Amino acid sequence: MKIKLNKKLLLVSAILLTALIVTTGLIGHKKVDYNTEVKPLFNKKCISCHGGVKKESGFSLLFRSEALGKTESGKPAIIPGDPDGSEMIKRLTTNDPEDRMPYKHDPLSSKEIDMLKQWIKEGAQWGEHWAYVKIKPVEVPDVSGGFFGGGDDGKWVKNEVDHFIYAKLKEEGLTPSPEADKATLARRLSLDITGLPPTPEIVKKFENDNRPDAYERLADSLLASPQYGERWTAMWLDLARYADSKGYEKDGYRSIWRYRDWLIKAFNEDMPYDRFLTEQLAGDLLPNATDDQLIATAFSRNSMNNDEGGTDNEEFRTSEVIDRINTTWETLLGTTFACVQCHSHPYDPFKHEEYYKFMAFFNNTRDEDVPGDYPVLREFNQEDQAKFDSLKKWLLENASKEETHEMMSFVKTWQPAIYSYHADNFINCQLSEVYLALRQDASCRLPAVPLNNREQLTYRYTSGIPDGKWEIHVDSVNGLKIAATIIPPSKGWTIHTINIIPVDGVHDLYFTYTNPHAEKGSQNNLATFDWFNFSSAFPGKGKPGYDTAFAHYKYLMAANAKQQTPIMMENPKEMFRPTHLFVRGSWLNKGPEEQPDVPHSLNPLPANAPKNRLGLAMWLTGKDNPLTARTMVNRIWEQLMGQGIAETLEDLGTQGIAPTHQQLLDWLSWKFMYEDKWSIKKLVKRIVMSATYRQTSVASDESLKKDPFNKFYARGPRVRLSAEQIRDQALAVSGLLSYKMFGKSVMPYQPNGIWRSPYDGNVWEKSTGEDQYRRAIYTYWKRTSPYPTMLSFDGTAREVCLARRIRTNTPLQALATLNDNAFLEMARHLATRMEKEGGEDVAMQISKGYEMTMFHPISKEKLEALQKLYNQAVAAFKKDKEKACEMINNGNDKTDAGKASLILVANAMLNLDEFITKN
Amino acid sequence: MTKKELNNQRLFSEANHEALHFVTRRHFLRDSVSGLGAMALGSLLAGCDWLGSKDKAAIAFDSANPLAGKPPLFPGKARSVIYLHMAGAPSQLELFDYKPDLIKLDGQDCPQSLLEGKRFAFIRGVPKMLGPYAHFEQRGESGAWISDHLPHLITVADELSFLKAVKTDQFNHAPAQLLMHTGSARLGRPSIGAWASYGLGTENSNLPAFVVLTSGGRNPDAGKSVWGSGFLPSVYQGVQCRSEGDPVLFINNPEGISKDMRKASIDAINAVNHQSYREFKDPEILSRISQYEMAYKMQMSVPEAMDISDEPEYIHKMYGTQPGKESFANNALLARKLVEKGVRYVQLFDWGWDSHGTSAGDSLEIAFVNKCRSVDRATTALLLDLKQRGLLDETLVVWGGEFGRTPMQENREGKVQAYKGRDHHAEAFTIWMAGGGLKKGSSYGETDPVGYSAISGQVSPFDIQATILNQLGFNHETFTYEFQGRHFRLTDVAGRVINEIIA
Repeated sequence: MKIKLNKKLLLVSAILLTALIVTTGLIGHKKVDYNTEVKPLFNKKCISCHGGVKKESGFSLLFRSEALGKTESGKPAIIPGDPDGSEMIKRLTTNDPEDRMPYKHDPLSSKEIDMLKQWIKEGAQWGEHWAYVKIKPVEVPDVSGGFFGGGDDGKWVKNEVDHFIYAKLKEEGLTPSPEADKATLARRLSLDITGLPPTPEIVKKFENDNRPDAYERLADSLLASPQYGERWTAMWLDLARYADSKGYEKDGYRSIWRYRDWLIKAFNEDMPYDRFLTEQLAGDLLPNATDDQLIATAFSRNSMNNDEGGTDNEEFRTSEVIDRINTTWETLLGTTFACVQCHSHPYDPFKHEEYYKFMAFFNNTRDEDVPGDYPVLREFNQEDQAKFDSLKKWLLENASKEETHEMMSFVKTWQPAIYSYHADNFINCQLSEVYLALRQDASCRLPAVPLNNREQLTYRYTSGIPDGKWEIHVDSVNGLKIAATIIPPSKGWTIHTINIIPVDGVHDLYFTYTNPHAEKGSQNNLATFDWFNFSSAFPGKGKPGYDTAFAHYKYLMAANAKQQTPIMMENPKEMFRPTHLFVRGSWLNKGPEEQPDVPHSLNPLPANAPKNRLGLAMWLTGKDNPLTARTMVNRIWEQLMGQGIAETLEDLGTQGIAPTHQQLLDWLSWKFMYEDKWSIKKLVKRIVMSATYRQTSVASDESLKKDPFNKFYARGPRVRLSAEQIRDQALAVSGLLSYKMFGKSVMPYQPNGIWRSPYDGNVWEKSTGEDQYRRAIYTYWKRTSPYPTMLSFDGTAREVCLARRIRTNTPLQALATLNDNAFLEMARHLATRMEKEGGEDVAMQISKGYEMTMFHPISKEKLEALQKLYNQAVAAFKKDKEKACEMINNGNDKTDAGKASLILVANAMLNLDEFITKN
Repeated sequence: MTKKELNNQRLFSEANHEALHFVTRRHFLRDSVSGLGAMALGSLLAGCDWLGSKDKAAIAFDSANPLAGKPPLFPGKARSVIYLHMAGAPSQLELFDYKPDLIKLDGQDCPQSLLEGKRFAFIRGVPKMLGPYAHFEQRGESGAWISDHLPHLITVADELSFLKAVKTDQFNHAPAQLLMHTGSARLGRPSIGAWASYGLGTENSNLPAFVVLTSGGRNPDAGKSVWGSGFLPSVYQGVQCRSEGDPVLFINNPEGISKDMRKASIDAINAVNHQSYREFKDPEILSRISQYEMAYKMQMSVPEAMDISDEPEYIHKMYGTQPGKESFANNALLARKLVEKGVRYVQLFDWGWDSHGTSAGDSLEIAFVNKCRSVDRATTALLLDLKQRGLLDETLVVWGGEFGRTPMQENREGKVQAYKGRDHHAEAFTIWMAGGGLKKGSSYGETDPVGYSAISGQVSPFDIQATILNQLGFNHETFTYEFQGRHFRLTDVAGRVINEIIA
């Protein structure tokens, strides 16, 4: 409401307005609101029997069309405009217990029934849930004048965010708090934007900067620092369920840290959020996809792989696809979609079959839960990369674009490959784990291989014996022989290419294998295969340089890759996999085939969108999508303010907790898309520049009483730091922190005996040098055994995505920061800094230590408490010299009770509530 | 009491008092943002009746004191649970499910009817049948069949309630263990111990509510997720207590910090925190103060609770314990100590029961016999010890694996194996329970003459979970937690209390 009138007029209109509200209220003409009055009542009392799961008596209240339709009794339950004729009202009011609804539950109150009657009388209109409505421009509440006098209201306000907050505070009878002191503000801002405390220099500079835009300058410089990307990546890794292991029994290593590094760079470059999502969901489908864009797709490859012997690859492939769908909805769209897997959504407008239409977008990738984590992006060392570049150059000059792409893509990814576990009809051979293992006089079948224009077979195998004769026949063991070769012994897995006789169509291939050196009936595996690739012939035969190029090609495909990162790759047409609905969610019970589409209750797929993941990304990042921007804005708000505008980040649907400031959420979302062009940095800045954010977190009695959970923001945010921030901050203040960025995950100190996975030889090998002191996002994350302090501070195993960490406060957290040797080491270094910078006097040293951690002077009482601890410790360490030695732990046995005591004080400082809290 | 101690005690009780007033808004939000959301929120608590249940149980989650003792929904017969999980899945055919017909079929080809449409983890083609490698007799008054592999357990046969026809639908270790303990073969759901501590809290605030003890040199195949909290707040996950290193991670002070110094430093931390509370008035600070007090109490009580060395000699003899080593026996004795002290749920995992017969190390002839020997005495001692302390009636003991073993000899990759061994088998296996209000000396369910599948009294992991919850005082259909828009149950949409074995 934008009213700019003088005060007198305003007063008059206010009285008139009040009168109007009162009279209309009396006459009872206020229209019933579906969203806030009817839908919650349906959800609570009716929908469990008449909704998406059960449709008792053929009646459902989920969609208007269903609710007004015919029921089993033949009578429509709701006749718009005619409450008394509507069967629903009759059933709510009848005295017959067999007919009266809710069945076998307490009846609705007469107030509720009157409300429903009035709603039907008014036409039984279905409202749309706020989160499913397209984001429109929102007018900013004007707080400059104030409604009832008092011209100072506008003074507190710093930007538009505050208008929304202030208007609500007024409604609730709350007063905002003043700005926090500069030191607190600098620490808060730095922890929020970079995940690290500020340096003392930064704080000092800020404190001495009296320019009006000093705060903005600080915010800008923090946003520009490389640590910004690391902090926001830490948040995103929960959403992406990033881990350095595959999950399940063996839980072996997965090399996917390139994806983590991609995130850091993307955040630091402030990649627009729409592109950020597009590359992660469909980078492989972008025209001329770069290696970076392929690595971005690892977002979806963070699903778990089950390498346990004997597991059904198709079962776990399917479960990975389902995981990708649920992750996409819960983290990017703030919607709980998982329940639609088994039945229509009980509360929200999503139908059972829509889950599988959505699945069809994700169901055609080359990954099949094989131990190699294929498809992977293979990265060459410098020398091989030069070969790769020259091969590419030669191909571009001597072959068609398509041929070049096929060859180069194969060298980079080994795709498209048929994995050997597809073989069957075994005679004298078997699957060894998931690998086809041939023995003496073996034969087996590789079913349904598309062979049109295929002249070359490339395969990955291992064999320990020379002279094995391998033949490939079409359609039967005695059918046309299209290839015959001798399999030489190999050093481990290796790759060979042979020519095959071209055959048209799709055929079953029959393999035979005999070896002159093996005994008849021997049960030894003689040749074991990983995958097969049938391709066109290497192009450019006869052209100059062909031999070298072909040799490079063969060399590169077998060359050791420096890094192999799992990526998404679409099936080629002839490997298309149809998608079926799973009846009641069971993957073994397949219903009708489904085509890719998005739920009809949301915006439709854009007209020009292809029906694949790229089209899906276009839909998701289109400005018509009501959920994408709201979900992200809500999440960023939560990160900065301690809780979401809608608290349930994972569920903006009708069962989620309603937003406290829906207009603000929409306004920020609109700005995010249209004005800031999806810039996350601008969004962060918009929020931190507000007076709302800058308030002191000291709670006044009034705000504590009226708003104990700070839902209306009459004070600044005060929340415990995240697990990552707690480690990083302690490393930073102790001076140990390594600022090294990127690379393979590291293993900082961890107590012995934490990793004990069966059938997995990997051990926790403590990193050396600065790698022990890297930021928490670089710590190796093993799903079945995550880093202990990450877990105690509410991190999860990252088995599935986590849209929101719930903060707890437990004694195990206290034990970790008190007793973990990693934290004690930080305390030792902090004590050394205190000694060095605090001078001779103990009180000065403690004060200095406090300033190094909190950036403002210590109070008298706090100093007293810590000094008392110091004195107690000195007395004790003087008596027990051995303990003092252990405390100092510097390799010599010189005891120094003072130093040991200072370490104990530093250890206490790293445990203070204000230290592990954002104030 | 010194003045300081008095002051601390006052501070502590004040903190607790404040904390109780301050039930934070998490999932179980009772108030709401404004009038608007109130009704929608009400329905959060009312629940989703489509699962066929009546009134949902809303357990209040108080983040300031999440493990406070809470009464069950109805008076349960068991106060606590000790779950002895033999990870890797012991062979029912060598221990409890006596099949004389299988002896006759030993070495013959497996009939096609048992193989058609079935998948096995390692068996390929047509395997041979394998007779039991054990001598069976009926034991006790109840006449339960138990083999000679368990010479101690036979003496307490009349305490046991057998489930002879348990069927699971997972034949790989990790998923099957997850199904058994979390109600889902996929990762991400809370374990039964987490549910129990969420629902009941702990009776002893100085100890965790849910303790996990492992032996056999390895963690179970599904890793820490089998005692994870899934979508429940992480505070409800099992706390792994270890026999080497700190009994609970970080419970011991680092070298260089004595008990007194730790106490002094916690006092100092709390004194500073109290100043911070005066400054910020944030009730979360009071909660932190009480957590640090609690941490210190745990430091005092956990090592003591985890120390078995002061047990009398006859107890050590009874269990076969050797203090200081990692063993199932030590863990069994610990389980008794912990339950005695009020721990709600003690979960043991003993790794190494995966008798495939590919080598001596996983053979029925050697490795399996050794495994039996390593648990037999201690398991029996645990039952007798609980009984002599009057604890067996209120402690539910469960013994079993994640699935059973095939009546066929394994033939990995279609090869003849050098040792006797059996593949994973999901169709039928045996689990026994004891104490906690169950029928003594009973047996429920029966398998066919070769022990391949159930012919009567078939039960599922969900039924076992429903029964455990029932004995603790929870209806598994109404004990739920709101997550991702629905009310989740441990037993999902299945489960039946096995009334046939309840006394």
